Amino acid sequence: MGIKKVITKEDWEERLDYVKVRKEDMNRLVMNFLFTEGYVEAAESFRLESWTAPDIDLATIAVLMGVNKAVQSGRVEDAMEKVNDFNPEILDTNPQLFFHLQQQRLIELIRNGKVFEALEFAQKELAPIGEENQSILEELERTVSLLAFEDVTRCPVGELLDVSQRMKTACEVNAAILTSQSHEKGLNLGAFVPGNTDAISEDALETLCWLISPYFFFNSRRTIATLLFITKKIYF
Amino acid sequence: MPTSAPPPSNYPTRSEDLIGRLNSVHIPCEAKLKALRELKNQIIGNRTKKIAFLKLGAVPSLVSILSSAVAENGGNLEFNEPVIIQSAAAIGSFACGLDAGVNAVLDAGAFPLLFGLVSHPNEKIVDACARSLKLIYQSKLAPKYNFLLEKNMDFLLSLLNSKNENVTGLGASIITHSCHTSLEQETLSEAGVIKKLISLLGGSLIQRDASLESLGAIIKENPVVVSKFMGPVNGRALNVVTELTKDRYPQTRLLACMCLILIRNASTCYLQDAGIKTKLILILLELIDDPGQVGDEAPFVLSSLIAEKEDLQKIAFDSNIVDKLCNHLEKGSLQAKSLQGIFLALADLCSKLECCRDRFLSLKAFNFLTDVLTHDSPEVRTAACICLKNISRSVKNLSAGHFMNEVVIVPLVQLLHDTCTSVQIAALGAISNIVVDFTEHKSTFIHCGGVKQLVQLLKSMDPTIRFNAMWALKNLIFLVNSMCKEEILLELSPSILISLICDPETSVQEQALALVRNLVDGAIDSVEYVFSEEGLLLNAIGRQLQSASKVEVLIQGMYVLNNVASGNEFHKEAVMNLLFPHAGSDTQTILIKFMQSTDSRLRTASVWALVNLTLTSSPGANSRVMKLQRAGIVSQLKNMANDPCLDVKLRAKTALGQSMMFVDPSMGKFVFTC
Repeated sequence: MGIKKVITKEDWEERLDYVKVRKEDMNRLVMNFLFTEGYVEAAESFRLESWTAPDIDLATIAVLMGVNKAVQSGRVEDAMEKVNDFNPEILDTNPQLFFHLQQQRLIELIRNGKVFEALEFAQKELAPIGEENQSILEELERTVSLLAFEDVTRCPVGELLDVSQRMKTACEVNAAILTSQSHEKGLNLGAFVPGNTDAISEDALETLCWLISPYFFFNSRRTIATLLFITKKIYF
Repeated sequence: MPTSAPPPSNYPTRSEDLIGRLNSVHIPCEAKLKALRELKNQIIGNRTKKIAFLKLGAVPSLVSILSSAVAENGGNLEFNEPVIIQSAAAIGSFACGLDAGVNAVLDAGAFPLLFGLVSHPNEKIVDACARSLKLIYQSKLAPKYNFLLEKNMDFLLSLLNSKNENVTGLGASIITHSCHTSLEQETLSEAGVIKKLISLLGGSLIQRDASLESLGAIIKENPVVVSKFMGPVNGRALNVVTELTKDRYPQTRLLACMCLILIRNASTCYLQDAGIKTKLILILLELIDDPGQVGDEAPFVLSSLIAEKEDLQKIAFDSNIVDKLCNHLEKGSLQAKSLQGIFLALADLCSKLECCRDRFLSLKAFNFLTDVLTHDSPEVRTAACICLKNISRSVKNLSAGHFMNEVVIVPLVQLLHDTCTSVQIAALGAISNIVVDFTEHKSTFIHCGGVKQLVQLLKSMDPTIRFNAMWALKNLIFLVNSMCKEEILLELSPSILISLICDPETSVQEQALALVRNLVDGAIDSVEYVFSEEGLLLNAIGRQLQSASKVEVLIQGMYVLNNVASGNEFHKEAVMNLLFPHAGSDTQTILIKFMQSTDSRLRTASVWALVNLTLTSSPGANSRVMKLQRAGIVSQLKNMANDPCLDVKLRAKTALGQSMMFVDPSMGKFVFTC
């Protein structure tokens, strides 16, 4: 192990100010960010317009787009089939992800008012998972409680019906697909914002605004430089 | 009157219908392919469905479809290849994480089929088959791969050389699964597999992780292979692995740490400096916090690093590891694996260091420990008992009687009749320490039914259980008060002890004799115990002394005689009769043999007995000394006056001095004859 290097805040900020940010690096950063955060169509458009070579191969991009579209339109079973065609190991070795997708299927059934089918689905498909895995039991109970309310939009767990829940699920699938191809999980801002995916998305969105801002303010340059350092694109 | 069961439904369930479609020879290809995809999508991720379909015989159907498609070989290409892909994927999914599935897949003959397809020109078929085989190899039930056959090694190398990530992953998983003996490790090393795996460390995440695991299997406990790994042929292998301990993915960091630890443990030449020790501990400490599987596995890897190594335990302690692990316990609702890992790590930490035990007890984490003694998982119960055993090594707390209370004892005694042997043995270990309690609370153990259970275990078929139960009883009896002794002896009959003194296992014999030694220690009436049943017990001990060869058995036997000889005249004479059974014969008495033993402990024990036998204040000492003189014992004592061992020397001098009083009256005017 080498000697630990200590850098003061002022020193750090000074170094950041001197970093030259190349456009290609910034483009790639933006594009990867968009892919990994689930803005797949935006990422694909950005890629084509900026002629940036993707770190991710085209087959994976196609799957990402297909899966995302399916989840965002509520066709979860479709999405799962696409994932299984792409790599059957993903759902078989990721019990949390599998549960969240099944949970999303239930939510979609409830959203469409198919109460009996939802009940049957909960009984046949979800209950057994709860038995096998104690840690998801709580989440399962929350989801199933949706069935108890006539007006689901006004129940305590109503946020599950929100489209942001679809987004959350889509992000999770995204990450799993990318990891299976052993691509970087993206900016991994999660490492700096511990907690739920919502917090990551908010923070990341804010950063995105800075990044694509055509006005390179003092602060945003530093942010870009920091992000590039984190993703190991530059070294001090 | 038996009630009639409801008539069976005439309508097949959806699942039965699906299997029906798969088995049907009449349905068109598209429908069959559709059915395959449907089955695959139903079972992936869904353990319950897998089990249900297994019962309906899905696997043999799948294998037969796969084998027909392979046999057709080119025929109906449009459907053949997709059929192969889907059926291979479904077969793999059945094997994923499900032992019953693996068995079904192997029984149905899928294995050779899948292997044959790994070199197929269609990349997607190769992917599907390699993945499925990899999933099978993740189970212990997969058939062992024989690395010693040349063609097998060649095939393995071809897998590792493939450009396909799934195929190299398969090669690595075969190694991780089947490489166990040092011969296999060396064969793989000779064939250049290590070099290949190291190059894969620069590949994708999956390749890196798979290679790290395989490398671990090859270098484990093999100093020869480790030095090859560190040698010039493999380049800067160590640097690569060390870099991976800083990788962004926690799983990679953990596997890299595991490799470094294996290198460290296999060979004392490498990775011994303080820097690497601290680094490994800090990385593992951080990994313990990981929310996923990595967090569950990290404590096990930590255990492999610190077990038996006090210096590492100290470094870990200084990094506040006890607090961290106890914090995890406080979070609650932990999975069994996680709990097992945490308690095993705590057990290692508390194995030698009092500071760790103190810290653990001060954090009030002891409650968690007693709670999990009744956990569902036998592995967790075992880990908790081992942890408890190590914590109870704290003499300070033991003396204060902190462990001898019902909260601890009741569940422990319960565990003595646990269904799982390893739990019983671990519980016995904990009890052995706790009953050494120096306060007067041993009765708590007896009243909780502890002695009954221990005596029951003395009759076990398993020698390890007999051994440990005897150890626990021995410790219980050590310095116990007479009232408790009475209660114990109510359960422990002499006949049980006699059979254990003559147990087929010498280690059990030793413990049995040690128990008797503790039993007859103390008041004079304790000594009477060995004379019960008309002296059968004493005779059994005498017989063992004549016939046993293991020195530890002889030592304990001599100490029993020693304690008996500290009693009254009758007791001393009994000991003499045992040691000199054939009056006037030429057979060398065993005592001389013991006094001439190369083991100083046996010499010490023998001389102690002589000290008691020649005690000048005893009435019969005179005649005893004469007897000893005739048997050549006194001369032997003279030789031992210059014994290299101080204990022997001092006792020999005492015994000699006492003997000389009788042998040579001119030595002194003090001849006691009363």
